[in-house]
Amino acid sequence: MVNFTVDQIRELMDKVANIRNMSVIAHVDHGKSTLTDSLVAKAGIIKSSTAGEARFTDTRADEQERGITIKSTAISMYFELDEDQMEDIQDKSNGNGFLINLIDSPGHVDFSSEVTAALRVTDGALVVVDTISGVSVQTETVLRQALTEMIKPVVMINKVDRAMLERQLPKEELYQNFRRVVENVNVNIATFQSEKIMGDLQVYPENGTVAFGSGLHAWGFTLRQFAVRYAKRLGVDRHKMMKRLWGDSFFNAKTKKWSSKSSDPEGKFNDRGFNMFALDPIYKIFDATMHERKDEAFALAEKLQITVTSEERDLTGKPLLKVLMRKFLPAAEALMEMICIHLPSPKVAQKYRCEGLYEGPMDDVCAMGIKNCDPKAPLMLYVSKMVPTSDKGRFYAFGRVFSGTAASGQKVRIQGPNYVPGTKKDLFLKNIQRTVLMMGRSTESIEDCPAGNIIGLVGVDQFLQKSGTLTTEETAHNMRVMKFSVSPVVQVAVEVKNQQDLPKLVEGLKRLSKSDPCVLTWTADSGEHIVAGAGELHLEICLKDLEEDHAQVPIRKSEPVVEYRETVHEESFDFALAKSPNKHNRIYMKAQPLGEELTNALEGGDITPRDDVKERARVLAEKYEWDVNDARKIWAFDPENAPMNLLVDTTKAVQFLNEIKEHCVSGFQWASQTGPCADEKLRGCRFNITDVSLHADSIHRGAGQIGPACRRAIYASVLMAKPTLQEPVYLVEIQCPEQAMGGVFSVLNRRRGEVIDEQTREGTTQKTIKAYMPVNESFGFVTELRAATGGQAFPQSVFDHWSTMGGAADQPGKVNDIVKQIRVRKGMPEQMNGYEYYYDKL
Amino acid sequence: MMKCVEHGHEVVALAHAHPPQSADTEELDSFLFQTVGSSAVHAVAECMELPFYHREIRGTAVTQELDYTLTADDETEDLYALLAEVKEHHPDVGGVSVGAIFSSYQGNRVQHVCERLGLTMLPFLWHRDQAELLQEMVAAGVDAILIKVAAMGLGRGDLGQTLGQMAPKLLALHEKYGVHPCGEGGEFESFTLDCPLFKKRIVIDESQVVTHSEDDLAPVMYLSIRRFHLELK
Repeated sequence: MVNFTVDQIRELMDKVANIRNMSVIAHVDHGKSTLTDSLVAKAGIIKSSTAGEARFTDTRADEQERGITIKSTAISMYFELDEDQMEDIQDKSNGNGFLINLIDSPGHVDFSSEVTAALRVTDGALVVVDTISGVSVQTETVLRQALTEMIKPVVMINKVDRAMLERQLPKEELYQNFRRVVENVNVNIATFQSEKIMGDLQVYPENGTVAFGSGLHAWGFTLRQFAVRYAKRLGVDRHKMMKRLWGDSFFNAKTKKWSSKSSDPEGKFNDRGFNMFALDPIYKIFDATMHERKDEAFALAEKLQITVTSEERDLTGKPLLKVLMRKFLPAAEALMEMICIHLPSPKVAQKYRCEGLYEGPMDDVCAMGIKNCDPKAPLMLYVSKMVPTSDKGRFYAFGRVFSGTAASGQKVRIQGPNYVPGTKKDLFLKNIQRTVLMMGRSTESIEDCPAGNIIGLVGVDQFLQKSGTLTTEETAHNMRVMKFSVSPVVQVAVEVKNQQDLPKLVEGLKRLSKSDPCVLTWTADSGEHIVAGAGELHLEICLKDLEEDHAQVPIRKSEPVVEYRETVHEESFDFALAKSPNKHNRIYMKAQPLGEELTNALEGGDITPRDDVKERARVLAEKYEWDVNDARKIWAFDPENAPMNLLVDTTKAVQFLNEIKEHCVSGFQWASQTGPCADEKLRGCRFNITDVSLHADSIHRGAGQIGPACRRAIYASVLMAKPTLQEPVYLVEIQCPEQAMGGVFSVLNRRRGEVIDEQTREGTTQKTIKAYMPVNESFGFVTELRAATGGQAFPQSVFDHWSTMGGAADQPGKVNDIVKQIRVRKGMPEQMNGYEYYYDKL
Repeated sequence: MMKCVEHGHEVVALAHAHPPQSADTEELDSFLFQTVGSSAVHAVAECMELPFYHREIRGTAVTQELDYTLTADDETEDLYALLAEVKEHHPDVGGVSVGAIFSSYQGNRVQHVCERLGLTMLPFLWHRDQAELLQEMVAAGVDAILIKVAAMGLGRGDLGQTLGQMAPKLLALHEKYGVHPCGEGGEFESFTLDCPLFKKRIVIDESQVVTHSEDDLAPVMYLSIRRFHLELK
């Protein structure tokens, strides 16, 4: 641990070239938090006053109980590089001391919104992968998230000790195992990286962007460590040496020559560089200590220049192994070195991240401030999440200064996600009461915070829902809202056990919503209080927090239900006509499916309302077979972020049409939020306004008339286009031994699961099964699966897609049954309206 | 009419165009006339102790352009015939009071008819701020109720409410959805039960809500007045 005063830390914050903001991300149980703890133990900065109190990342009691991370935690660390190491840093630095702001984030998919919030404020990521289980579904998810946020990854292959002790893998097999993991990681990176902007982000052990080791035993290495060691001894260049330590590069011990073949001309065996130079000493230590050949072990230690204390000499077996390995290859050294050398400083990262971060023009004063990470430019600060304070109901706004300097007492513009530049919508002008450093669970006041640093703010929490932009510049646009990989598709209704506690519940729900980036809470028309989360576990934790912390009153919850979407199977069979309430304006509309591909492109941000109109029209015409004229006349996307529906003007020469555009758009947005079948959101629908007849006098075609008419037209057109529901579907990844497969399949079968992939992990009988399963069938799945497999199967479920249900919502059948159930739950009449209800006769 | 009196005019007669007897609904969705409340309009004349002229609406909105040119079978011609009849009985009538605020469509048609009959149009509410006007009417003692609703946010519960009771909601709907506070876009129609010009006031004894078109957010419905009596003030 490093003891620093606040002034010393503040000094480091100015040297922005020497700052590394990074997240630790991984699949659940791949050992992130353990690894982080070993880093913090070595380099964590603690306030001089609290030195000795050791508790780092998992700060909550339930996190320790369950052994998983639920909330992300920020820790600052300090590390100094030596001269050799400094040489390998490509960009200019300012001295050899580095400030590393690390955010440890949860691995369980249900909490990946925490990961998103962490990624936003960092520039690099340490991706931790378990040697044995390899790249799993959540590894892929977080990697994808990191790359979309333009975060540079480095990799730590973890739990190597288990591969050696439990699986007894010989050197070459271990190497092959490593190679497979690296390849799998790179397949994912190659798919999602923005190569044009950031260059190749794939990781290469021979470049030092992959570390191997054991977080639990606190040892680890990159090839750089071995290269440095041998370069000195063998008198070769260390960069050349590194290249030889990976891949098909073999060493002949006799001739002392390198070759690309595994056997020499005489048929003698050549040893792989990696096995011989990196793995060999490690295997020797393992072998000697685990077989109680202590003398041999100590001899080895001496040869490797490890000093062993007299107390340590008394240890045997595993404890001795740990000590020797930790001294031989300290994990913190290797990782900190990798982080400082290979992850970008804010100054470097913000240059290419600016475009993805800022919504405004790339040449305005704010964009320039972000690109240059300029502490003297206008303030641009993004709040990515809220962290509860010890003061009930109050939160620290946690975020990053991308431009300018945030200071205590500073007056700022607080722009919520719905802020529109030039208006007062979702805008507050307030003072930052205090700026604080977030150090694990403790905080420390600091006067100000320059660009490139992560900071906590006091006094702005009431003005932000969950996230937002803080700026001092009046013309500033918003920083882009974060895109979450999970959706709150599972919901429960909650109520208080004692009626007089209701106000506390209402207040508690507000706090819950603020404290979690993903959770949604609202009051339904029926008066029920709804909490929506990513999955059962997420909801369980949320409700526990609600009951114990946020509301502190006993609550009852309903059975979980899922959210649906409403959509159409085909094009409306005729033009849907709707009149305005005064009957003097008519709108003709047709609905048609957008198609899953286009809907995904919209939701994924490939096609956005902000694109150049002509360019977008070209893409729609070429890729999605749209009429190019229609494609140029898209009136509205709903919602603006990750759109699911489009409103298109396909009319020909209608007078006054532009005057009513805005009113139509509001009617469309309204209709999209609450569909005609079950009051669920519409998704994957395109609405074509085919013709309009308007009252000649503008006073009779105002918003109050056109809005409702457009909404009615949309409803009628949906009901004339074979309406149906879409249900949310999870991608489930299950790991289990072969003998448990039968149990897994029968549980999946009962729950409408559809197996899409089944693989055996090389060299084992462990199976990885991937399947689609409707979220609606997932309640109690984990428990049932454990019971059916004697606890041998471990599932991870993550929302994958919406699946359009066969059958029509308005015809008797399964879809209609679900519609009725939803309507009854929402306190609506059981029977949905037919199109005639909205269709006006001419 | 109150504005006319304020400006020194004298109201001598009331005229009303009503739906034909054969119509099965009180709401014709006319572009020019308010027809809901028709069954009780004659009572207004009684309250003011003035002669009452009425005529069936036979035409429809044939010309739907903003400007009007003489068109056979257009409902504007019914207005012409009605006012011509008034003029016949009261040769000294000089003008027609018009309540239009922003509707050029309606203003143009009344103007057209007036010109043909040598009458002056008296549009004292023309281009007044609707929010202000609403407050002013309430303050001046106009006791009018909503008799038809046809806009986002208005519904069954609002029928029969007085302008005074409705003012806060109408202003809020104006902010939220752009509903015109005086119903100028056709968002609602009203019926006056009492005002300073009345010598008696109208008391509705029985009325019925008629749904014109159903919608969960912007239903169109009106109050059909079945029975009423007059009360001395």
